[in-house]
Amino acid sequence: MAANTRFFPKVAFSSPIMDSIIRYVLMILLALVLFAVILLISGQDPIQSYIDIFATTFGNAYGFSEVLVAMIPILITALAVALPSRVGLINVGGEGQLYIGAAFATWGALTFQHLPAWLLLSLMTLLGMLGGALWAFLPAYLKAIGLVNETITTLLLNSVAPKLVGFLIFGFWHSAMDTVKTDNFVDAAKLPTFFGTRVHLGLVFALILLVAFWAFMKYTRWGLEMRAIGGNAQAARRNGIPVKRYLIIAMCAGGAFAGLAGMAQTSGFYGVLLLNFSIGLGFMGFLICWLAGGDPFGILLMSFMVAVITTGGNMLQLTRDLPYAAINILLALTLFVVLAKPTFFERKKP
Amino acid sequence: MSLLSILGVFSSAIFSGTSLLYTTLGEVIHERSGIVNLGLEGVLLVSASSSFAVTVITGSPFLGVLVAMLAGALMNMVLGYLVIHRKANQLATGLALMFFGFGLSAIIGKPYVGMRIDGLPRYALPGLEGLPRLYASLFSFDILIILVMPISILVWWLLFRTRWGLGLRAVGENADTAFASGRNPLLYRYQALALGGLLAGLGAAHLAIAYTMNWTEYMTAGRGFIAVALVIFSRWHPLRAIAGALLFSGAVAFQLLLQSSGAQISPFLLDTTPYFLTLLVLIAWGGNRKQSAPASLGRVYHGSE
Amino acid sequence: MDEEHDITHRSTTRKEKQMKKNLFYRLAVLAIGAALLLGACGPAAAVAPTEAEAPEESAAEPTEAPAEPTEAPVAEEPCLIIGALYGGPITDAGYNQAMHEAVVAIKENIACVEIIEAENVPDEAGATTTMENMISQGATLIFATAFNHQYPALELAGEHPEVIFEHAGGWEMSSNFANFFGKPPDGWYMMGVAAGMMTETNKLGFVAAFPLGWTSTFINAFELGALSVNPDAQTIVAYTFSWGDRAKEADTTNSLINQGVDVITMHVDSPSTVLSTAESRGVYSIGYQNLAAQQFAPEYWISGTGFTLGGKLTWLTSTVLDGTWKPIFLRCGISDGCMAIGPFGPNVPQEVQDAVAEAQAAIDSGELVVFQGPIVDQDGTVRVADGEVLTDDLMSSVDWFVLGVIGSSK
Repeated sequence: MAANTRFFPKVAFSSPIMDSIIRYVLMILLALVLFAVILLISGQDPIQSYIDIFATTFGNAYGFSEVLVAMIPILITALAVALPSRVGLINVGGEGQLYIGAAFATWGALTFQHLPAWLLLSLMTLLGMLGGALWAFLPAYLKAIGLVNETITTLLLNSVAPKLVGFLIFGFWHSAMDTVKTDNFVDAAKLPTFFGTRVHLGLVFALILLVAFWAFMKYTRWGLEMRAIGGNAQAARRNGIPVKRYLIIAMCAGGAFAGLAGMAQTSGFYGVLLLNFSIGLGFMGFLICWLAGGDPFGILLMSFMVAVITTGGNMLQLTRDLPYAAINILLALTLFVVLAKPTFFERKKP
Repeated sequence: MSLLSILGVFSSAIFSGTSLLYTTLGEVIHERSGIVNLGLEGVLLVSASSSFAVTVITGSPFLGVLVAMLAGALMNMVLGYLVIHRKANQLATGLALMFFGFGLSAIIGKPYVGMRIDGLPRYALPGLEGLPRLYASLFSFDILIILVMPISILVWWLLFRTRWGLGLRAVGENADTAFASGRNPLLYRYQALALGGLLAGLGAAHLAIAYTMNWTEYMTAGRGFIAVALVIFSRWHPLRAIAGALLFSGAVAFQLLLQSSGAQISPFLLDTTPYFLTLLVLIAWGGNRKQSAPASLGRVYHGSE
Repeated sequence: MDEEHDITHRSTTRKEKQMKKNLFYRLAVLAIGAALLLGACGPAAAVAPTEAEAPEESAAEPTEAPAEPTEAPVAEEPCLIIGALYGGPITDAGYNQAMHEAVVAIKENIACVEIIEAENVPDEAGATTTMENMISQGATLIFATAFNHQYPALELAGEHPEVIFEHAGGWEMSSNFANFFGKPPDGWYMMGVAAGMMTETNKLGFVAAFPLGWTSTFINAFELGALSVNPDAQTIVAYTFSWGDRAKEADTTNSLINQGVDVITMHVDSPSTVLSTAESRGVYSIGYQNLAAQQFAPEYWISGTGFTLGGKLTWLTSTVLDGTWKPIFLRCGISDGCMAIGPFGPNVPQEVQDAVAEAQAAIDSGELVVFQGPIVDQDGTVRVADGEVLTDDLMSSVDWFVLGVIGSSK
């Protein structure tokens, strides 16, 4: 049984940031080449496809804003995985925590429609975080008492959450016109957007959380203790650190982050609670966190990259006659390439 | 509630549960060797789309079944290579495989959406031919349904009554010890994944070619994850998986019956029962070493710190 | 498996590892190549298969020239660029295919237009993105065909006053936003007439996705039609809670049949699974959305109603081209060519066909209005009073069932 439960590997190079970037760029290039082959086999022109992706995402301000919009939820869900990982917890439950956070926030939006925006949105933010934290509590508790591993409990609850949300929408909250979504939120319940784009306040949330997470882990006593637990839980316990408490708090905090992502997506992006509004946002966050090694800067980079791919992929459907889902192949190939190169990443054997 | 509708619940449970059972059996096999595949959803989708495509092109559903098995095995090999040889994290690889499956299945299946196929032929159970068609058609099964029970038993026998199964389980418990006693964990795991992929392919084929006779994107609608839950629910035992699959599918059919009788159980809540039941099982048996997961399963089941 | 425990001990020969790795690699790579070849086998150009490169081997150059871009270089500017988005796949033998065929018909009638299509756009946010992309590609007329495309389209209409938006099945209107639809209830009534005559158990089945206003209207029209020829006819409704969950559709169809239903119909995106399942149980079926559905139930097919909006969309496009477009609440029925009744199946007796034709004539002449009062709901409340008529705009928000329907409308 590994004493060191921290599984996100850290790299060991001399000039970390530069090497990081070079490595990432190489990985991406490799994935692009692989995807190009697949495009060719499907009868499409890869050069033109990549030009389309580039043009959509970097060619104009609106396209770039769309990339930012796509980046917001996955950045936050990646943090939702990163925080518990520091104490050695594996939170695959972002998907479910996201849904419950969205549901809690929606309740607030529907119940308190007459409040002024700043109050309502603050309330919804808190509700979103509360929902996510609650959804993470059961897995946290079961893990802390040593009964069931958190990976499987969070995974199971992932599948429960969207159905619970569906039940709430369909049974209680649905709009008059359409049973698969609620009424559109009042303006006060929608996160404000910037400059006529769809980029919403969630971006600010995400960046604040990112910086806070980085600072917390690096500079606070609690961050230190968490890293100690992540390094060697037994030793930490012997040193008097209340491990169980940290486990529960870290997991619930991760859940709160994911819940916030759900609230941001529902309030800022959609403006309404939809059935099944997330296809894999939580899982994508997990993958991003894993790819980045739990490192905040890496998380920022990887979520940006994923956002570019998915946003650009939208255009491919129109110009290249590819099904939209095909862009998942490029995403997956990037992931495979990184996954297949552990020699770059592997920690030196003790 | 007529006799027909009660029998109908059983029939639906069997029809709907067959693909779930095959998929679960496959997952049981390789989880027993220590590898968890979260990308099962993607595997199923790729198998389903390929088998449907082949059936449209060749007109033979049997070829479609074969291709599905092959596709499942190959998808699992991708997982195997990354996880066994490159020693990648199983959870991350599985999820990446899932996304890969979303995309690949969409590309494969796109030209064939909405096409019509002749599904697998169905055979009436002997002795039922005399019944009115409505009843007889309840229990006219295709070859995959007929085979699912024998195959489940075969899997049980393979895992628990053969040398290979013993070795597999040993690898699943502790790969180092198994290696020390002369077994090759790599080989066992690859074989388990291959076998698991074949079975998952059968499950996907049944869904696409025999039951719905259709292909659409994201067609499997979460069955991969239900299977992962079902594996845990049946505590990694093939025979209990039979009961689990019937239970989960029967519940859906039962709820449909209730829909028109006025008693409304929310279908959303009902869809959560497999997961809640699995959670209950986990909590109830969590401490019991004998009934729990293979000890080296992913990084998933290391028990308490 | 612990990453820390290196189970690939050095004692396992490198060569063995390498060989095994290569073998599996080649297999996987071959298979993926084959699978993609399958995908390319359809309408795509015949491109020689290339083995997909393994991630480890160095990136190889593609071995053939890139295929032609799908946008054929246009010699002159198109007279109009039209964007069309669909909630599901355009080959679903159902609603999306019907809409797609209508859009394609525009090009057949007006050769100088260029059409950009996007399928599988089920949700609002995706719709916004897709429409923005279409506009950036020069589209100035957009057909948003899925029910929930309405509000994204309406919002974009406010932001892009130079683009005209037409939505299928909605009710909102603005200076550059209007909507169009067929008149399905008339067709449903006629199908109800056929079903009412063909059933022997007096139980009809309706597989529906969600309890929406339109769905309830269709169910009501269907039952009213059945009641007009068979006062004992009942329609049992069951929901799948998804527009395209095939397995649920199969389950639901079977469940209805097991309750004694012998005529099945549906309101889901694609009728194919429901039809195939009914056919496999030897039960009659009636299709909806698209007339291509008959192939799924060759023997027990009764008939079906479908959208044939090609002519109408062509007319709308021509008004945009000559500048006479005005936002109108467009509804057109069978007599306008917007909807059609499918051919009758091989087991449908002549008297049933005649009855349907009679009903059609009565509707066309105005003598018969499907939703004219008195109409009573399941609880006995009068929903449409004697002498009154349910208006078109109310049809999309109906939340009750007529007496004779079994099931919940909420």
